[in-house]
Amino acid sequence: METILSGQLLFSALVIGSVYALTGLGLNLVYGTMRLLNIAHGDLAMLGAYLAFWLFNLGQVSPLLAAPLAVIGAAGLGALAYFGLFRRQIERAPTVEKLEANSLLLFLGLSVIVQNLASLAFTASPRAVTYLDAIYRIGGVSMTGNRLVMLGVSALICVGTAIFLRRSVYGLAIKALIQNRSAASVVGVNVGRVQLASMMLGFGLAGLAGALLSMTEQISPFMGFPFTIAAFVVIIMGGLGNLLGGVLAGFLLGFVEIYGVVLTSSNARSIILYGVFVGVLLLRPQGLLGGRRIAR
Amino acid sequence: MMKTLVAAAAALALSAGFAAAESKPVRIGFSIAKTGLFSKAAPSQMTAYELWRDQVNAKGGLDVAGTKRKIVFVWYDDESKPAKSAQIYEKLITNDRVDLLLAPWGTPHHLSVAGVVEKHKFPMVGNTAASVALRKIKPGYIWFPTSSFPDRNAAELAKLAKAQGIKSVAVIANVLPFSQENRQFLLPALKSAGIAVKVDEKYPPNIKDMTPILTKIKSAKVDGVLALSYPDDSFLYMKQAREIGVKAKMEFLLVGPTIPVFAKAFGKRADGILTIGHWSPYQTSWPRAKAFFEAYVAKYKSEPDYLDSALAYMSLEILEQAVAKAGLDKAKLRQAIATGTFETINGKVRFKGVENVATPTAFLQIQGGKMHIVWPKSIATAAYQSR
Repeated sequence: METILSGQLLFSALVIGSVYALTGLGLNLVYGTMRLLNIAHGDLAMLGAYLAFWLFNLGQVSPLLAAPLAVIGAAGLGALAYFGLFRRQIERAPTVEKLEANSLLLFLGLSVIVQNLASLAFTASPRAVTYLDAIYRIGGVSMTGNRLVMLGVSALICVGTAIFLRRSVYGLAIKALIQNRSAASVVGVNVGRVQLASMMLGFGLAGLAGALLSMTEQISPFMGFPFTIAAFVVIIMGGLGNLLGGVLAGFLLGFVEIYGVVLTSSNARSIILYGVFVGVLLLRPQGLLGGRRIAR
Repeated sequence: MMKTLVAAAAALALSAGFAAAESKPVRIGFSIAKTGLFSKAAPSQMTAYELWRDQVNAKGGLDVAGTKRKIVFVWYDDESKPAKSAQIYEKLITNDRVDLLLAPWGTPHHLSVAGVVEKHKFPMVGNTAASVALRKIKPGYIWFPTSSFPDRNAAELAKLAKAQGIKSVAVIANVLPFSQENRQFLLPALKSAGIAVKVDEKYPPNIKDMTPILTKIKSAKVDGVLALSYPDDSFLYMKQAREIGVKAKMEFLLVGPTIPVFAKAFGKRADGILTIGHWSPYQTSWPRAKAFFEAYVAKYKSEPDYLDSALAYMSLEILEQAVAKAGLDKAKLRQAIATGTFETINGKVRFKGVENVATPTAFLQIQGGKMHIVWPKSIATAAYQSR
């Protein structure tokens, strides 16, 4: 019982939840606005992590400074992918289902290419960045600086995105697009521009997550895939295209992962995690907050 | 005139042919996990292969029973799939007709390829594999230089812990096969050594947070933590155990600490970490050890993996010495490997069945950023230090 109430577990649950929420957020933006299933999402995070690693290793640049660069770099790749591959797909796909299927295949291809290019360029040997790993003790909970930063930045991004979507014209346009594409275009939303912005933002968030993860994870060309899976679980559970739902689901899974293990055993991690996932979908096939708002 | 020209051309072609035959390189085949699950681990093996090839070629080539011939590699990506590596070795033998074979990476691949080399009676010295299952392979065409067999590890680890006055431990184990095999032998070994196991937990390979396990360990106040881990969770353990403040006199991590990035990532904090491994460059009675270490560092600007790179290089030394004696004839080569004693970076190696019986099962400890053998005393390069 004492263990269950310990702040240490709470902190871990929040950190892991924030990672899930952050990786889910970018994926959700791209799916919500364009119905593109970005299976290469985790690989963008991998590129962000490598950027942070090389800058740190060669130039002693802090991963926190590398993070904005990773956002810019990944956003640039987003623009490239949008103009090079997906604009035509979005315009020409006869149905949304067809677009989803095509995008899944295209992104899978990109994912394989990116992973293998990274393996060729950087070799598959794992790398690590040791940064901000001093331990802070706050109220009986000890935490390393990098995990604290991870939590702080993710929370900031989630809140920032929520405000952006409610207050800024661009944010409202993105939301409008998520809710109803054709109606959005009828009321004067520049669909192409909003799509480009969402793609860049979605990719950028993946790059950011990667730069942050470089401080806590081993870096390798194949590190991205587990994050892609986690992100998909998060956004499906939250309700595809529902950004707030995704964030909620991310934190929920973080808590389930930590407390589920405490109450049972570490070995049950996947069973509990996917059990909750399946359970939620059985009760609410549209996801936690998904459904009406978007379908309408 | 025409006739002479043709004759001259023919003579020229013939002599060119002879010249080519003389310097015909030795083709050595293998498969490697360039992509997939094991791709992170495989480079430490490939780097040893490439270092050896370059060293041998720089000396004029591989000594094939007296004739020096350059080495060329023929390799394919097995995508970390054991079944695929079996297909590749089949192709290397029957289609590419390579002269020699090197091992793929990892136990499952060795097990998968063992049948192929046996079928074609093609001797191959294995390297990066360790499992009691290896002993079930029919001996004859494959050999394993490792001394880190799980049953031997377990027995020796219990002895080491007892010798250090460890009374209670936490045993946490990844559910992957090598960890589980070690756990299966370790628990009874600890029991008979009179060491109490206060925490006994298993965890999945994709574990992302160890806080729950580590909080248990912390409150159990054990003398030692024996983590039967793989590289990813070894990293996670190092980061989180420190964060949570797990303090134990002995901390053992099964796989991970020998990878160069480990010592780099944790620096001083890795001091005192114990792991499996039987090779260290600081063992002066193995003159080849230091030379290999220095050549490796010079070429790759990074230390070798003390397990995999060392094992890979040992397998090459064994093959090189056997080929120098027996040439490329498969039956003679097989005989040479099975019966010979070889000088390696890890001292003398000799096989009985599939197993290297000359190298003792040993443990490495990181001390001042260096990997020292601390157990057993017969080959130790430094005394064990408590964490």
